[in-house]
Formats: sequence, C-alpha cells, structure tokens
Amino acid sequence: MRLRSPSGLGLNLWRDASPRARRQWLTAYAFMSLQLIGLFVFILGPLLVSLYYTFTKWDLIAPAPKWTGLRNWLHFFGDARIGQVLGNTLWFILWATSSFLLLSLALAVLLHQRRRGTTLFRALFFIPYITSQVAVGLVWSWMFNTRSGPIPNFFRLFGIEIPNLLLDESYAMIAVALVATWQALGYGITIYLAGLQGIPGELYDASSVDGASGWQRFRFVTLPLLSPTVLFLTVTSFIAAFQLFDLVIILTGGATGVAPGGPGGSTRTIVLYLYEQTFLFSERISGLGYGATIGWMLAVLIFIVTMAQFRFARSTVFFLEDSD
Amino acid sequence: MYYGLLGILAVAYLVPVTWVVSTSLRTEANLLRPDQWIPNPITLEHYTSGLYEALPNLGRYTYNTLRISILSTVGMLLSCSLAGYALARWRFPLRNLWFFGLLATMMVPGHVTLIPTYVLFRKLGWLNTPNPLIIPAFFGSPFATFFFRQFFLSFPRELEDAATLDGAGALRTFVGIVVPVSKPAFVALGVLHFTGSWNGFFLPIIYLTRKDQWVLTQAIRSMLGRYDSPWGEIMAGVVLMTLPIIVLYMLVQRYFVQGITFTGIRG
Repeated sequence: MRLRSPSGLGLNLWRDASPRARRQWLTAYAFMSLQLIGLFVFILGPLLVSLYYTFTKWDLIAPAPKWTGLRNWLHFFGDARIGQVLGNTLWFILWATSSFLLLSLALAVLLHQRRRGTTLFRALFFIPYITSQVAVGLVWSWMFNTRSGPIPNFFRLFGIEIPNLLLDESYAMIAVALVATWQALGYGITIYLAGLQGIPGELYDASSVDGASGWQRFRFVTLPLLSPTVLFLTVTSFIAAFQLFDLVIILTGGATGVAPGGPGGSTRTIVLYLYEQTFLFSERISGLGYGATIGWMLAVLIFIVTMAQFRFARSTVFFLEDSD
Repeated sequence: MYYGLLGILAVAYLVPVTWVVSTSLRTEANLLRPDQWIPNPITLEHYTSGLYEALPNLGRYTYNTLRISILSTVGMLLSCSLAGYALARWRFPLRNLWFFGLLATMMVPGHVTLIPTYVLFRKLGWLNTPNPLIIPAFFGSPFATFFFRQFFLSFPRELEDAATLDGAGALRTFVGIVVPVSKPAFVALGVLHFTGSWNGFFLPIIYLTRKDQWVLTQAIRSMLGRYDSPWGEIMAGVVLMTLPIIVLYMLVQRYFVQGITFTGIRG
C-alpha cells in the first residue's frame, strides 16, 4: 500500500491514478470543456460582475462604472415603482399559475381516458404552446378589441357591453394571465399525461374492488401519485411567470395605444422594468447599475420561492417506492 | 358525450386560431366584420402584396431568423450532448461539483447575467450582429446538458463497450455509436431549442436594434401602429411565422414524445 503525502489532494489523485483512469479524466474534461467554459463565461462570471454593477452607476458612455456604494440598493427599497411592479408580477403569478395548473390537470385527466381521437386533441392543444409569444400577443390584442373582437362580441350576445380588458387598469393583468394560460395549457397537458401514464393500472383496479368512487380514486390514487409531476410543473411555471416580458410588451403596447406596461403601469412586470431601466429611459436612475440591482433581486426572489416550494413538497409530495 | 365535451373544449380553445386564419383571408372591407368566421370572399392579398408592402425586407428577416435558429441549435446540441455524455458515463474528479453547479444555475434567470454579457458583447463589437444569439449556444446550456445526462444514464452501456474493445477512441464511439441511437434526445432538445430561438423576442430587441438585422418577431411586431394597424397583414404574418414550427412538430412528434418521457421530465 502506498503512503499518501498530505500535500495537494488534486495532485495526489492524479499521481495515484492508473494511466487508464488519467486518460479517462482527460477525455471527460475534453467532452465537458465547452459547457464548462460557458458555465464560467456566460453564467458564473456575469453573475459576479452583475453583483458588482449593483454598487455602481454606469451609462455605457463613461469609460468605466463609477462606484456608488449602496445607492442602488437603497433606491430599490424606497422605489414606489418597485412596489407596484412586484405587486403586478405577483398578481399575474397568482392568476396564471393557478389557472394553468388546475385547467391542464383537468384536461389531462379527460384526455387520459385512452379513447380514439385523443391524439388529435392533444396535438391541437399543443399549437399555441409552440407559437411565439409575440404572435400570441398580437392575436389576443385583436381578440379583445371592442369593434370586431370575438370576446366583446360573445358578451354582446347576452346584452353585456364589456370594455377592452387590456385597456382597463383593474383587469389588464388578469387578461394577460388568461392569455398566458391559454398558451401554456398544451405543455401542461403533455407533462401531466406523461405522469398519468406512469401510474400503475393495478392501483386503480384495487381501489375499484374496494368500492372507491371516481372522485375518491382521483383524490386518493391519482393525485398523490401525480404529486411529483405537480411539483415539477409548479416550480417551473412559477419561475417562468416571474420572467413575464414578451407577452406583456405586445399585449399592452402599440396596438392598444398605450405604452408597454400600461394602462397606468398596471401591467409593468419586474423584467419589463429592468428592461426600461437598463436599455430605454434617458432619465433612468443609474443605467446598468440599477438594472443589475433589479436583476439580482429577481434572482433572489425566484430562489426563495423555489426553495420554499421544495420545502413544502417534502411533506406533501409522494414518491412511489420503486420508482428510481 | 365524452367526445362532445372534448369537442366543445377544443372549439373554444381554438377560437383564436380560427380567428387569425379567418382575419388573414378577409378583404379589406370585411376586416372589421365580427360575423365573418368564414371569409366571403376569400382573398390572399394580405399574404402576397399586402405583406410585401408592409415588410419589403421579409426575405431578409426570414434569413436572419433561420440563420440564428439553425446555428444556435447546432451549437447547443454539440456542446450539451458531449457534456451530458461525460457526466453520465465517466467518473472524474469534481464531477459532482460540476453537475450540481449546473443544476443550481438552471434556476438563475437570464436577466441577471444579461447586463454583463451585454457589456462583453458590446466590447467585442457584436451588437447588431447575430453572434450574441448564436455563440453562447456553442458553450452549453445547463438545462440541455442535464437533459442529455438523464437520457444517456438510461442508455445501455454494452454497445459502447464493444466499440471500446475494438480500440475506437471515445469521440469516435460517441459519434459513430451513441449519437445514431440517441435520436429522440437530439430531436426533442433540438426542436425545443429551435422553436425557442425562432420565437425569441427579448434578446433580439436588445441585441438587434438595426433594421437589417431584425428577426421575424421584431418585423411582425413593427407592423403594430399606435392607433391603427394593418390587421390583415399582421395575421398573415402570424400564420406564416407559425406554420413552419407546426410542420416541424408534426414531422418529429413521435421522437419528441419519446424524448420527453425518456428523460424523466415527468418528475
């Protein structure tokens, strides 16, 4: 047995390894190299630089960022706009994720009944998901228009005159959430269906023998076994909803005659605010610095919410014993 | 009863899709008619002269979009399949550190890293070139690398062992033996990435501000006027932009579903 010298663990590993193992390490790192460079150059590096920017003021015209200490952060916590922007985003998340998770579950259960023709429906529901948010936004701003839009016309059938929801401060964000849900349903259905197919049929047979009703089977067999899928979709849909941008800029800008984020700033999201503060406003607070601050707070928020969801999942999500 | 319910749902769900197609085929005079679900008369003028007048450089925008989507998809598949394979197959020092590092960064929103990356690309003189939307893809994407790793983990090792005995190098084994039988993963990820790139809007409006560099999403959006817009042309543009993606999915649907199920995205 060889003695291990205490110095330099990495070196020891290398020296003690067989030539074959060494070759394998080199091959592995060669295969990993592009992704590793990317991890440092495009993710970890910028993450740190961005943190540095939060303590500076820079308009890109000056040769270098100017250190301003905590100014951006103090401004962030006193910024009335930030309060509104966070509120808008949370309001959107509430509507969009709950309607998405519930509706796509209901539709997936309906489609799961393996009858003929369901493949066609699944394909139909998938179309909006693979369509650009820009296209979806354009279509829906046309759907909501009060002159010829099908939505106001549908209500007219019942003698109800509704305004263009996208121009109404109290409904605009809900309308955006509705559109987002419509677009994402096909994805939710696909993932739920994959989860449903993973549930062993014997469990349903056993519960039928025990005399369980349809609802009881859903509540005590389907739902617990589907909970990992629900967790996956919950986490990913929250993360996506936090980053709402494309849809909102199309739905509430241009066609409706108001600036993006309107009406009255009621649909300005975190990312839209970040974009405006970094790339648009001439009167922006401190250019890149404030944009970076908003970006960092977004990342922190997403991190906290995701961790909270996983924590909550520990007590509620049910994993089948034999599933890997 | 079951089909009736599904039918109603599907119709309600597809009202917007129908409305787009119908609007794009109406004559100018009928554009604002709320009752023209089936246009009468049907016209293709929005697709031909109309769209061409509104967007004279449509060909250029299509070329820009295709170039970005294809090249970035190729780059992503290359860098992520190699990394995913290494993570799934070999033990090597720090492997778990890299793996969990990649996993953790999947949560980092692109908006935090956006600003320093923008500054970097600006220094390189890459603003208003397609590079910022292509080159990063050649350096991996944590999500896709993770996805490839999951796929290769579920993959029998025996095939490669035979090749290794033949004395083939790791890269040759990978290209010659592993890639051909991993179609579902490549297709699923490739199509996902291609679609994301084709549909992208946030990065293009940041990096491609000059008109001749625009992609399709920017071009179609630019038709929106402040008070009045050419809705017939806009809807024609939406249809034209979406059709290739729908066809693509129809072509690869089988692989796509396989790819998603294989990798255990279902949780």
